[in-house]
Amino acid sequence: MNKRPFLALFVAPATLAAIASAAALAAILQYAFRAYVPGSLNPGGLTLDNFFALLRPLYAQVFIQTVWICLLTALITLVVAYPLAYALVRTRNVTLKSFLLITAVTPLFLGEVVRTYSWIIVLGNTGFINSVLKGLGLIDRPIQMMFTTFGVVTALVHVTLPVMVIMLSAALSHIDRDYEKAATSLGAGPVKAFLTVTLPLSMPGVVAGVSTAFAWTFSAFATPQMIGGGKVSMISTLVYQLGFASFNFPFAAALSVTGLALTFAVLAMAKQAIKPLEKIGAH
Amino acid sequence: MSAERIDPREPVSPAVSAPAADAAARVAGVQIDGVTKRFGDATALHEAWLKIADGEFMTLLGPSGCGKTTLLNLIAGFLEADGGEIFVGGRLMTETAPYDREIGVVFQNYALFPHMNVAKNVGYGLRMRGVGKREIDTRVAEALALVKLDGFGERKPRQLSGGQQQRVALARALVIRPKVLLLDEPFSALDKNLRGAMQVELKEIQRRLGVTTIFVTHDQSEALSMSDRIAVMSQGRIRQVGTPDEIYRRPLDPFVASFVGDVNVLPGRLERRIGETATVLIAEGRLSVSADTLEGIAPGAAVDLFVRPDAVRIAEGEGLVSGTVATHVYQGSHVDVLVDVAAARGGRVTVRVPGHGASTRWPVGTRVSLDFSPADAVAFASDVS
Ligand SMILES: Nc1ncnc2c1ncn2[C@@H]1O[C@H](COP(=O)(O)OP(=O)(O)OP(=O)(O)O)[C@@H](O)[C@H]1O
Ligand SMILES: [Mg+2]
Repeated sequence: MNKRPFLALFVAPATLAAIASAAALAAILQYAFRAYVPGSLNPGGLTLDNFFALLRPLYAQVFIQTVWICLLTALITLVVAYPLAYALVRTRNVTLKSFLLITAVTPLFLGEVVRTYSWIIVLGNTGFINSVLKGLGLIDRPIQMMFTTFGVVTALVHVTLPVMVIMLSAALSHIDRDYEKAATSLGAGPVKAFLTVTLPLSMPGVVAGVSTAFAWTFSAFATPQMIGGGKVSMISTLVYQLGFASFNFPFAAALSVTGLALTFAVLAMAKQAIKPLEKIGAH
Repeated sequence: MSAERIDPREPVSPAVSAPAADAAARVAGVQIDGVTKRFGDATALHEAWLKIADGEFMTLLGPSGCGKTTLLNLIAGFLEADGGEIFVGGRLMTETAPYDREIGVVFQNYALFPHMNVAKNVGYGLRMRGVGKREIDTRVAEALALVKLDGFGERKPRQLSGGQQQRVALARALVIRPKVLLLDEPFSALDKNLRGAMQVELKEIQRRLGVTTIFVTHDQSEALSMSDRIAVMSQGRIRQVGTPDEIYRRPLDPFVASFVGDVNVLPGRLERRIGETATVLIAEGRLSVSADTLEGIAPGAAVDLFVRPDAVRIAEGEGLVSGTVATHVYQGSHVDVLVDVAAARGGRVTVRVPGHGASTRWPVGTRVSLDFSPADAVAFASDVS
């Protein structure tokens, strides 16, 4: 009767998980439209006040800063990851390949907190960079890198790098080497061949990588919290403060919902941007 | 090694003393002087010597993995040789970057840039050379007309059929007016009819433009029908260089004989050799054949006689060899009559009879005698003794 007798069995856990997370989302959504009652964990009546509150310069500022940090992180990650991915895909040298794979991809398995700690060791006032610069006599006083946007972006780049490298490698490995050979035989030097052929053909991977990095960074919490230390605000850290320091759940929910909507908007735009590029990649 | 095998009577083929070739001889389109290529421990190309004249259509023919693409990549500059030198138009290529070689390449999978339309693809090489826009437009239009694709400029490669993509690839390689055109199995992805049409077209275009062409294929009939000369390769070595007729009728070794065209093998024994002529004993008779291919073979040694199916004559009664008709294979313009012959390698001899009457004239089971002119037979030392 049923062609796939185990289907229900397999789908059931996924359905449960989906229902649970949908319920959580729905809860957050309804919280966002409820009034905050100071001193109480329970929300009040329906209102749009939370969303109006988001328009206040203080919060609008955080939104802009978050988008800026995410964009910066995504673009810097792209610039760092592209050569790594290119070398990873193109090298025939097995040692180099393993080395690249280990440096670029293994951080993925360390987790955000561990990686961020390592950056605290590097960026701190008595950390690696400052000690070295001091040792070399280049600076008298430590350069402030902790609790700055620079520090947060640096650590976030490291956090998003593995994913970007993986996505770019996937895109690059699908580009036939003959395209570059053809360009070369037609008179294009290595740089021209790269700019006119390889780079445009890898655009679907670039767009996918940048939008993923953007979304990834947008939801990052540990890194901005630990490196930013409250001095660099992002939506995620703000949600945490509002929810767990002021217990203003409705406002935290409104912030989350707006952030989520923003992320979706960015991903949708990226998807539109990829469309014509995907046809290029299909050969 | 292989240089010794090249027929010295052939005027454009490299002299036996190729290393000593003088500068004047380098007007040839392409000269390959003892080029060796190794990949790790494996040698993909053993000291290849080859001289391709200006405007010549040279085919590299050989089975998969024999080093054809490797040689092509060396000429194009995509690979660096481990030894030897390559000259194009008399110029040493070793220090010339691939993008400065002015060599047009047509790839097996076309390698048309998917993000550019046809006109942009064809004009690519001109843009890289900084040619003016007006001239690019004219030359692209000319090139597209040459391959009969006028008006296809705006299409994207994926909107074209395989044959059309092949033409675009050809136009793109030719528009830069290359010194040499390299084609690596360009037609292998096309169906049989289209392949035939493209062969004729490529040959016509090549003759019209007079561009030196090196064409790679593993299809012997394609090689025979298109080439001015063929270089037969196997296991990284050039085994023989010659015109299609020489390759087909006067193969210099058993590999060439059996790779190019169908062949019957009759084991025999070398009786004696006098000057140019060798006498070979086979099953029921003796035959005087050319001794060229039997150098250094002592009388009494086992030899194999190679005869093409179209050179074998079939008759009733007893002859040089005799056998029983086993079956017929109808091929349209001719019939292959397969005859059981005890004395033949594999126990079979194929006789190619023109027309279609063979099956009624020699029904299955008929005793027949087989005969051939000594001029159509080539003897080689047997590798099975
Ligand atoms: N990049 C490489 N690394 C290692 N070995 C290689 C490489 N390229 C080719 N070879 C080897 O060199 C030999 C010749 O290869 P080549 O590609 O020239 O053969 P081919 O005659 O073009 O064969 P086909 O008809 O299958 O294309 C093969 O044994 C192949 O495995
Ligand atoms: Mg090949």
